[in-house]
Amino acid sequence: MIKLAQAGRSAPSVALAQEQLNKMPYAAFLGVSLRVGPDGLETLTPDRADLIGNTNLPALHGGVVGSLLDITGMLTLVFLKALDRSPRLVDMDIDYLRSGQALPTHGRAEIVRAGRRMANVRARLWQDDPERPIAIGRLQFLFPKS
Amino acid sequence: MVLEEADTGPGVAVLLPGAEHLSGDAEDAVFHTSVILATIDNTAGWCIRDHPDYAEGTSMATLDLRVDFVTPARLSETLRVRAVCEGFDGDIAFVRATAQTLKTKVLIATGQATFMLGTPDMPNLATPANALGGPVD
Repeated sequence: MIKLAQAGRSAPSVALAQEQLNKMPYAAFLGVSLRVGPDGLETLTPDRADLIGNTNLPALHGGVVGSLLDITGMLTLVFLKALDRSPRLVDMDIDYLRSGQALPTHGRAEIVRAGRRMANVRARLWQDDPERPIAIGRLQFLFPKS
Repeated sequence: MVLEEADTGPGVAVLLPGAEHLSGDAEDAVFHTSVILATIDNTAGWCIRDHPDYAEGTSMATLDLRVDFVTPARLSETLRVRAVCEGFDGDIAFVRATAQTLKTKVLIATGQATFMLGTPDMPNLATPANALGGPVD
C-alpha cells in the first residue's frame, strides 16, 4: 500500500475547481460535472450514446476513459492545492481494467506526492460499484509558474 | 478527426484540426491533453485494423496506454497523429504513436498502447502465420 501524502498546507477550494472546469470546453463537451463530499472531489459523467466507442458491446470509448482520468486528476489537483491556473499534464499511463458500460461514470483521484514543481496523481474511474474500477491512471503534473 | 487516406507513411495517419470545443483552457487556446490522448487511442485501434494479419470483425480492447505530452499544441494548428503497429501475434497488438503539427512538424505527443484482440462474445478471428502455438486457455 502506498502511504498517501497529505494534501498540503493550502485549504481545498471547490470554487477554483469549479472555475477550472467551467473554462475547460472539452470537459463541457463530454458533459463532466463535479461535486465535493466528505470524501473529497468526485467527477460525474452521464451515460451518453456519443461517448460509446464500440456500439456492439456497447463500451465506453477508450479515449473518453483516458480523458475522464485526465480531467479527474487535474480537477482534484486544482481542488486540493487551490491552484488558480491549470497545471500542465506532462505524461500519463492508463490501465484499462474493465470495459465501460453504457452507465454514468464516477471519477476520483488522490495526490500520491506533491513537490514544489511536480505532482504525482493517481486517478480511478468506476460505474455501478466503487470497488470495481473500470480504469486507473498515473498522472504527472507540472504546477503553473507562480 | 479524419483518416488521412492519401497518406503514404507507415501505419495509419489521422488529421485533427483545432476547434474551440477541444480546448483545455479557454484562456490559452491549446488542445486539451485528453483530446490528443483520445485521438492517439483511436488511431492506434485503426492501425491494428489496417494490419495485414488482422481478421475483419475481430473486436479489440485497449489494455493500457501511455502518453507523453511533449509540447502544448495551439488550436490554430492541425495535428497529424500517426500510429504504427509494431507487434501483432493474434492475441495482443503493440502500437506506437506520435502527434505532430501538420505544417511545422513539431512533436506534440508520443504514445504507446497495448491491445487485446477478441472478447468472449466476439472471439478472435485472426490466424496469423507468426502466432505462437495453440490456444492460450
